[in-house]
Amino acid sequence: MDELELLKKDWQQKKEHLPKLSYDEIHKMTWKKSSSIVKWILIISILELVVPNLLVVLFVGADDWSTKDLGLMANYYLGFNTFYYAVVLYFIYQFYRRYKEISVLDDSKNLMRKIIKTRKTVKHYVIFCLAMILVFFAIFIIGFYLDDSILLSMEGMAEKAEEVPIAKLKSTAVWIFALGGIAFAAFMGGVYFLLYGLLFRKLKVNYKELKRLEV
Amino acid sequence: MRLNCTCERFFLTQSVTNQKSNRLTSYQPTHPLVNKELEHQFVTELENNQNIVHKICTLYTNNRDAHNDLFQEITIQLWKAYPKFRGDSKFSTWMYRVALNTAITLYRKSKRRIQTQDYESVMFKIKADEYDETEEQQLKLMYKAVKQLNDIDKALVFLYLEDKNYTEISETLGISEVNARVKMNRIKTKLRTILNP
Repeated sequence: MDELELLKKDWQQKKEHLPKLSYDEIHKMTWKKSSSIVKWILIISILELVVPNLLVVLFVGADDWSTKDLGLMANYYLGFNTFYYAVVLYFIYQFYRRYKEISVLDDSKNLMRKIIKTRKTVKHYVIFCLAMILVFFAIFIIGFYLDDSILLSMEGMAEKAEEVPIAKLKSTAVWIFALGGIAFAAFMGGVYFLLYGLLFRKLKVNYKELKRLEV
Repeated sequence: MRLNCTCERFFLTQSVTNQKSNRLTSYQPTHPLVNKELEHQFVTELENNQNIVHKICTLYTNNRDAHNDLFQEITIQLWKAYPKFRGDSKFSTWMYRVALNTAITLYRKSKRRIQTQDYESVMFKIKADEYDETEEQQLKLMYKAVKQLNDIDKALVFLYLEDKNYTEISETLGISEVNARVKMNRIKTKLRTILNP
């Protein structure tokens, strides 16, 4: 293609039209903070780690659960927590390993693959968190069925129980918890997928393009 | 502990005696003096080779702000990776990979930027003595066509224009040599279609 050769000739001698930065200008840049996609994954992941745990604290309140009479649920709750934090630790470790693997010195395809892999770890973590939110609500719902005292131990419920029959109160509470849990999980998931969708659009397109000829 | 000390001293003496030579080790310096020395080396190298980065920025951005933004991100990535640069290849060769990776993978285009101050037209003026109207017209159209390609195609064209062979192109992008050739041919066809719709 003649035009491409013409372009090549021009390209290689094209120097005077390019901007020229001074030593000081470049030096200053080395001190600036990166705003790369990898940096964003790190920031968002840390937020994802902190926010759900923070929400649990806010949601449950600063009350010490161990002092409350949870009846049957105390065991569930303890088991749930142990399991939850064990898995969270596992994800932190996985994420750290993947994150460390990312190197700008890799070839482009490998670099993209590793970033996508890191993102997948984060994605699995988020799915896990969303599932845990649902389980958390489910534990309450089961608790309501098994033990009336749990419902009654909630604030304002004892007074309500005097006006409304307990069965009706119970089914209302179950519905509120079920719908609330689903809505909450859907909201968190929506925010997450929107955020990552936007962040990764370009990378995904480019990765697909690089992979297209393979097979 | 003792081993560390010796190592550091070794590096210090070496870097003083060989100030202008290639980088010696991939050892990451902790001593402030060594760090300054490394920084100076890096900035000087980048200053001398900045054209490569500017060319990439020109291909991937449409205005001065975005150009500077991308240049800055590439500089940061180069600097972060510099301690791993062993001097077994030329600095410029090593730069291609980091700079291209930053442009097509790490860098996120900011949507907030105003796209009005397009500088495209000033980027490819030919010197007065080689002035040739049809040739200049052709070049202008070519530059415009190349800018319409997708990120990956641009990377291939960039390496091609920089006179890299297919082995280097395939190694930089992580595709096979055959794929690089096939892709390049497709790009030529694409460019032809853009030029003669």
